[in-house]
Amino acid sequence: MTATALLILAALAGAPLFAVIAASAMLGFSQDEVDLSVVAIEIYRLAEMPVLLAIPLFTFAGYLLGESQAPGRLVRLTHALLGWLSGGLAIVSLAACALFTAFTGASGVTIVALGALLYPALKEAHYPERFSLGLITTSGSLGLLFAPALPLILYGVVAQQMNLDPPVRIDDLFAAGLLPGLLMVVLLSLYSIWRARGEVQTTGTFSFAEAARALRESAWEIPLPLVVLGGIYSGFFALSEAAAVTALYVLIVEVGIRREIPLRKLPSVMRESMVLVGAILIILGVSLASTNYLIDAEVPTQLFDLIRERIQSKLTFLILLNIFLLVLGMMLDIFSALVIVVPIILPIAIGYGIHPVHLGIIFLANMQIGYITPPVGMNLFISSYRFNRSVLDVYRATVPFFLILLFAVLVITYWPALSLFLVQS
Amino acid sequence: MTDTAAPTSGLTRIVNVVHWLEDTALALLLGAIVLLAPLQIFLRLAFDAGLTWADPMIRVLVLWVGMFGAISASRGDRHIAIDVLPRMLKGRARAAMAALVHVFTVVVCALLAWHSARFVASEREFAGEAFLGIPSWILETVLPFAFAVIAFRYALGTFPLLAVVLGWRSPEPEETPR
Repeated sequence: MTATALLILAALAGAPLFAVIAASAMLGFSQDEVDLSVVAIEIYRLAEMPVLLAIPLFTFAGYLLGESQAPGRLVRLTHALLGWLSGGLAIVSLAACALFTAFTGASGVTIVALGALLYPALKEAHYPERFSLGLITTSGSLGLLFAPALPLILYGVVAQQMNLDPPVRIDDLFAAGLLPGLLMVVLLSLYSIWRARGEVQTTGTFSFAEAARALRESAWEIPLPLVVLGGIYSGFFALSEAAAVTALYVLIVEVGIRREIPLRKLPSVMRESMVLVGAILIILGVSLASTNYLIDAEVPTQLFDLIRERIQSKLTFLILLNIFLLVLGMMLDIFSALVIVVPIILPIAIGYGIHPVHLGIIFLANMQIGYITPPVGMNLFISSYRFNRSVLDVYRATVPFFLILLFAVLVITYWPALSLFLVQS
Repeated sequence: MTDTAAPTSGLTRIVNVVHWLEDTALALLLGAIVLLAPLQIFLRLAFDAGLTWADPMIRVLVLWVGMFGAISASRGDRHIAIDVLPRMLKGRARAAMAALVHVFTVVVCALLAWHSARFVASEREFAGEAFLGIPSWILETVLPFAFAVIAFRYALGTFPLLAVVLGWRSPEPEETPR
């Protein structure tokens, strides 16, 4: 008990989470007098999971896109297609950010890469300052329910370690995330249209010429979502193959053809992207060991029995789950939360009759709000830093968006069909 | 975040060489993955075939790129962490807490390095082959290596923090979020 308390203290004091998880696994195994080289054996299992290949490849492709001029082209294209609507530019921001985050994996890149373009544009179109700030901050994590976002893949990887029958398939997760993700985008768009009525200028009319120009400008990037999503959903590509095609294609286009990233800058982009990959994979590796220990020690089963004694109804459990995940999302980033918490709550949730794929969507939707939940949501700080506004300003600006997304999360949680409608198995 | 430069120029040069080696290794590992993975797809589509050694090799490369990425993340303390308590502290108190956390990380990583080295040693006795005649244990050496380097990095990082705690050095200015 003392050891657990010390470990939690170390985590709160800022110790790297992989070290905290590794320490907990080693403590657990040594109490059971298991040889600690088992931890190394578990970490080495990272080399036995073919699906992990998708993580470095998609991350690298995302960083390359972020470094190129692709964000600007994406904004121009969505603007040409949607800008004529009332509240159009706000909807442009939401759509562009969602698409970009799906490809770059909600690591704060979206706010930095797209926010810098969209925030001044919103201001120029006379959107209220606070509204724009809130919109951009919120958009930074929008889209992580859309394929091929990293968190979806990671949830699938973690759930597959639990030996469920039938196993959780990553393409099922991709299908399940679609409608809940759209729900969030649509709700936020409706709010934007309502806020923009009267006071905001729009281009008013749809221009075929501008749309054609924007389409031609983005001609190299447009096949990307089609190849990736089409390839995965049709079963033509496995996930890791889609990632391989994406990475090579983006590399050839942005470095070779467009030459927007000079060759001498390539190693630093490679390094930056692999720092994130390393940080995620090392946490995943040590958590394979800690999960193995937890299952050996039957912690989830005991926890389930304990909770079952007090909570009978699925509804009460879901309410508590939402509250728990909201608090968790404030404390932990999405990747650590996934590998630490999913192995514990997945068996419990299944005990209450919740579909593992549905749980994944609930989990990620909650974590998405965690990015903008005061006081420690990561995007609040990135936004405050990037746009040079006090964190308090950013808190105030994001409140209405937070409430809308909270409503969306409740709908997602209590209406399983929304997630499971498109899932085949 | 910039990397802290060492005081003497000779040391700085060594540090730079190490960083260069690290970045080059990362680029080569990732480059190999980016080329090999599509090659396998091409071979599957064109000839309905593939290199038998390529799939296990790619999987090992992913582990290696991950561990080298983790080494790189320890340069400048960029591992994923919760910073609830550090945010509440300032100056020497903050440095003291960071120093304790560094020591904790050094101990854990040293233990991980030691136990993975034992794992590699026991694998060496069984001498299994991974692919292309390469014995598995060689591929596993990345674990003790990476954890040892990370432990060493955090050990080095402890000294500037101690200097702040002891008042030999003024605290770093407030960190900006990344």
